[in-house]
Amino acid sequence: MKKFSTLVWLEHRRNWLWSLPLMGSLLFWAWGIKQVLIMSVEERLGIRAGLLMGAITIGTVLLVMMIGRIRSETRNGQYQVLLMSPPSGYTHILARFTYAAGVGFAYFIAIGFLFWWILELAGINFDTRSLFELILAMPFYGMSVVVLPILAYTLLLMVFVSAYRISGKGWIPGVAMLLGTPIAMQWLSEWIARITWTLPGWQVFANAPTALAERFGEFDPELSVEIGEVLHSGLPVEPMLVMLAVTAALLAIAGRIWQEVEA
Amino acid sequence: MLAKLEHVTKRYVKNEGLRDLTLDFPSGEVVGMLGLNGSGKSTLLKLMAGLLTPTDGHITVFGGKPRTNRAQIVFLGETDVLWPWMTPADAERFMRNLYADFDAKRFTELLDALEVPRRKTKTMSKGERGRLRLAMALARNAKLYLLDEPLAGIDLISREKILSSIVQEWHTDETIVLSTHEVAEAEGLFERAIYLREGRLALDVSAESLREGGKSVVDTFREVLA
Repeated sequence: MKKFSTLVWLEHRRNWLWSLPLMGSLLFWAWGIKQVLIMSVEERLGIRAGLLMGAITIGTVLLVMMIGRIRSETRNGQYQVLLMSPPSGYTHILARFTYAAGVGFAYFIAIGFLFWWILELAGINFDTRSLFELILAMPFYGMSVVVLPILAYTLLLMVFVSAYRISGKGWIPGVAMLLGTPIAMQWLSEWIARITWTLPGWQVFANAPTALAERFGEFDPELSVEIGEVLHSGLPVEPMLVMLAVTAALLAIAGRIWQEVEA
Repeated sequence: MLAKLEHVTKRYVKNEGLRDLTLDFPSGEVVGMLGLNGSGKSTLLKLMAGLLTPTDGHITVFGGKPRTNRAQIVFLGETDVLWPWMTPADAERFMRNLYADFDAKRFTELLDALEVPRRKTKTMSKGERGRLRLAMALARNAKLYLLDEPLAGIDLISREKILSSIVQEWHTDETIVLSTHEVAEAEGLFERAIYLREGRLALDVSAESLREGGKSVVDTFREVLA
């Protein structure tokens, strides 16, 4: 456990110059939200929500760039120190992933709070349960389905390229992996679509229709198909379970390849 | 036998690092790995450390694959590999928690003996960083030390401190393989000298037998590799 925590500490020391501005950028998004001052409440809410979707996208890109900073360590030689250290490749990979995922969760929880704030500004008052679903359940779901697999994939790609860098043509496996990814993603998404809703949905925002009705009168799910579907059926758990399994598999492969990396 | 190389060849994308090298490393030796630039010294040490995989042939260290037994190997690479934010205190935390054989007391003594300043490595000179890295390496109680050019680019005073620390810290059951261009300065350390030329073994000889023949390691370096 001490080895793992030391490697997480090392990740923090290596990456705080990335994670701190990422968290600091939340102030920028909060400032941006305050600048949206058009008359219609619905339009204001829509634009502010759009801004936060931008924050989610940019945050994900920054997390990917942070976790993918293996090449600079390879060039500078620090990778040698890590490869020679006793912890297994799995421990190294897990430490890197844990740090990035931890920063990601903190960031997306804060985004959840900003969503709650823009709803409050729009006069929609969520109860405590809905608030917790917004700041905990939704970040967890979104991270599990999208962000965690992307982080694990980036880690695997970087380790994969490093493994064949010295005595092989390092760019070939990287290009092969990148070319194979869309095919794998298409197959995976088709399979997920086939199995989705075989399990009961994860019910979230059960009390949201009341809050929306209080603000806008009777809430009509037809207004937004997606929102109506989530409120009625909940979130499908199959994509989350499958992508969590995919994340674990990608990390396991990266941990195994770590043992083969040359430096 | 601590380490054994059998017909080891290492090919890179465009060139060959080593060709058909067979060597044994028993315990309790200080070995000089000598050769000109590009002769394969670093490649050999990295192969023994498990940082590279041989293209052909076999390497065993402590009876197994080098990478598998890396916890028992000390490797000090030639590149300046410490993180710029790292202080000696950070280095101690890193080493103490990752290496079971790390001796924190010995590390502090080495820092004092090598006069390593207690500040971030980015504000240290190359010599100071080199001494810190050596302190990290020698504070471990390992049986195999692979030191790749620990004297390269380092001032005379630092080189003397590094060499005297290696001498003082060496125990008779430990094997040190030291590659260096500073052959004259390190000559007194070596019990055995391995000369590499263009990735091939040029000469493997005990320093004692050289001296008995009236030659030094440096003379032989010039003779074999010039």
